[in-house]
Amino acid sequence: MASTKVPEVRDITRIERIGAHSHIRGLGLDDALQARQVSQGMVGQLASRRAAGVILEMIKDGHIAGRAVLIAGQPGTGKTAIAMGIAQSLGPDTPFTALAGSEIFSLEMSKTESLSQAFRKAIGVRIKEETEIIEGEVVEIQIDRPATGTGAKVGKLTLKTTEMETIYDLGNKMIDSLSKDKVQAGDVITIDKATGKISKLGRSFTRARDYDAMGAQTQFVQCPEGELQKRKEVVHTVSLHEIDVINSRTQGFLALFSGDTGEIKSEVREQINAKVCEWREEGKAEIIPGVLFIDEVHMLDMECFSFLNRALESDLSPVLIMATNRGITRIRGTNYQSPHGIPIDLLDRLLIIATSPYTEKETKQILKIRCEEEDVELSEEAHTVLTRIGLETSLRYAIQLISTAGLVCRKRKGTEVQVEDIKRVYSLFLDETRSSQYMKEYQDSFLFNETQTPSMDTS
Amino acid sequence: MADQSWIDILKSSKKTALIHDGKRKIHFLFTDGKEMSEEYDLQTDELIVRKWRHKSTLGAQGQWHVEVGEPLAGPVASSDLEVIKENCSNPVFLRKDTKTSFRWRVRNLPYPKDVFSVSVEPSDRCIVVKTSNKKYYKKFSITDLDRSQLPLDNSALSFTHANNTLIVTYKKPKEILTLEQELLKELKKLKGTGEGDVDCKTQ
Repeated sequence: MASTKVPEVRDITRIERIGAHSHIRGLGLDDALQARQVSQGMVGQLASRRAAGVILEMIKDGHIAGRAVLIAGQPGTGKTAIAMGIAQSLGPDTPFTALAGSEIFSLEMSKTESLSQAFRKAIGVRIKEETEIIEGEVVEIQIDRPATGTGAKVGKLTLKTTEMETIYDLGNKMIDSLSKDKVQAGDVITIDKATGKISKLGRSFTRARDYDAMGAQTQFVQCPEGELQKRKEVVHTVSLHEIDVINSRTQGFLALFSGDTGEIKSEVREQINAKVCEWREEGKAEIIPGVLFIDEVHMLDMECFSFLNRALESDLSPVLIMATNRGITRIRGTNYQSPHGIPIDLLDRLLIIATSPYTEKETKQILKIRCEEEDVELSEEAHTVLTRIGLETSLRYAIQLISTAGLVCRKRKGTEVQVEDIKRVYSLFLDETRSSQYMKEYQDSFLFNETQTPSMDTS
Repeated sequence: MADQSWIDILKSSKKTALIHDGKRKIHFLFTDGKEMSEEYDLQTDELIVRKWRHKSTLGAQGQWHVEVGEPLAGPVASSDLEVIKENCSNPVFLRKDTKTSFRWRVRNLPYPKDVFSVSVEPSDRCIVVKTSNKKYYKKFSITDLDRSQLPLDNSALSFTHANNTLIVTYKKPKEILTLEQELLKELKKLKGTGEGDVDCKTQ
């Protein structure tokens, strides 16, 4: 009875990959909204982080709709980092939609349509819905893997309450999540029948006397009573866009073939807005305005900007955060020059947060944090050299050198990255300045050098 | 819904009738967006299938829920889609009425008859099937009585067990019998669109 049948499973708890901003866990502010010098992966930029903190409070309050913030600064000064910090501190319940300015240009959808979809993805609705759940104590889990190693796994799960017992057939996804959550006989679990989400409630009291090593946090609960399947009201957050999609689907069996959302009719949107307002007045639902973050906002063109102007006026509008690294430049789609490549009338509506270049100390600190994140050990001298490189070239280049130097170091079976390793990768990989230098020197030997074009137009 | 009686709701609904396969099929669309579909045998006028479909709160089209008759044997979804479902060896619960009584069948119950106990729970307005070996338990309400707001009576309830099947029978009260006859008369007046495929106008 006590022997639990949990099969050994190849580890499916996926290791998260290390992204450019995965070291950021928040904005690093104290209760008085003062920025700490180094906290939650953020370094320096005290004034801009403080400003972001004020914006964060405004978002959390949720009363103000349609505010827009622009984070402007040179490349590599932590604009995206600040936005990520806001996203992290908002928590999972507030919708945070991030997109890059170039993402909206698609042949399948008009620019304004994808912008309004992005806007509506950033508004959450908390609503009660009835779902069917299965709640019971696990009697037995049995998973058969095909001997060849490939093919579908077959699983059976026996659950019981004080009154009854039922055997369930498990789908592949279910088997995976059961083994990921390490569900074993004697656990009391609930399964959401529609989504397959499993939550462990604890261990059954009848198993309390099993001789078994268990953590201090193990909770004992009573075996559930009555029927295994119950209907329960759960509160969850869906975005307005999801409601749009549900209601705009072609009905019937055609819905099976139209997986993509496509354009959503404005009548559907209006209907949904009215419905949501009705729910809110009846107290059935709560609206959670979230955040829409548009990176590289200078990539938007004139039409998008005028759409933004209009969209921000709606009372169902999220807080819009934009980031750009451009100075005075041409507005896309026009011949006018404007600061940040954004028309003045939109700029007028924005709160602008500026980021400034990092100092030497801050650069050093950031590199240290990145080293920890990427699990590379750096000697003191190497760290100083890398900081120098970071200041003279760019912070991004220096960060790129961390993992490459780490690899070089490992190849020579060292444990700590030395100055030599840094030197080696520095000579192997060119930074932007050296690369341009090289281009200038050897321009003539490259292909197509006879067509002398003026400098690249990036706007 | 409570202040309006069931028969009035039925009358106010949009109905489409169709005669097909020796069955009279009727589709009801109620004012609140719910849909009901019934099938009657042409010869015996017995109710074969009654199923319901609701829209979810967010507006998504729901699945058909069978109230009376065999569960739907829809296209079998792939195991990836189907996250979890009951094993086929489990008891199968279904309702199959006769002219004079509501009747439920629970198949796949290979236990002796004295294991089972069936009773009415007036407080919850439902019938409870219990097993002393703790293998099966089911609480269900008689939806017809709920809709007409009639009380439950323990003496109308009986059960038998044979061929691994538990049969629970509840005698239909007078009110239900008259209501059903009235409804049937009404439905027969509906112009059946005859054999063949027709577009269901209410859908």
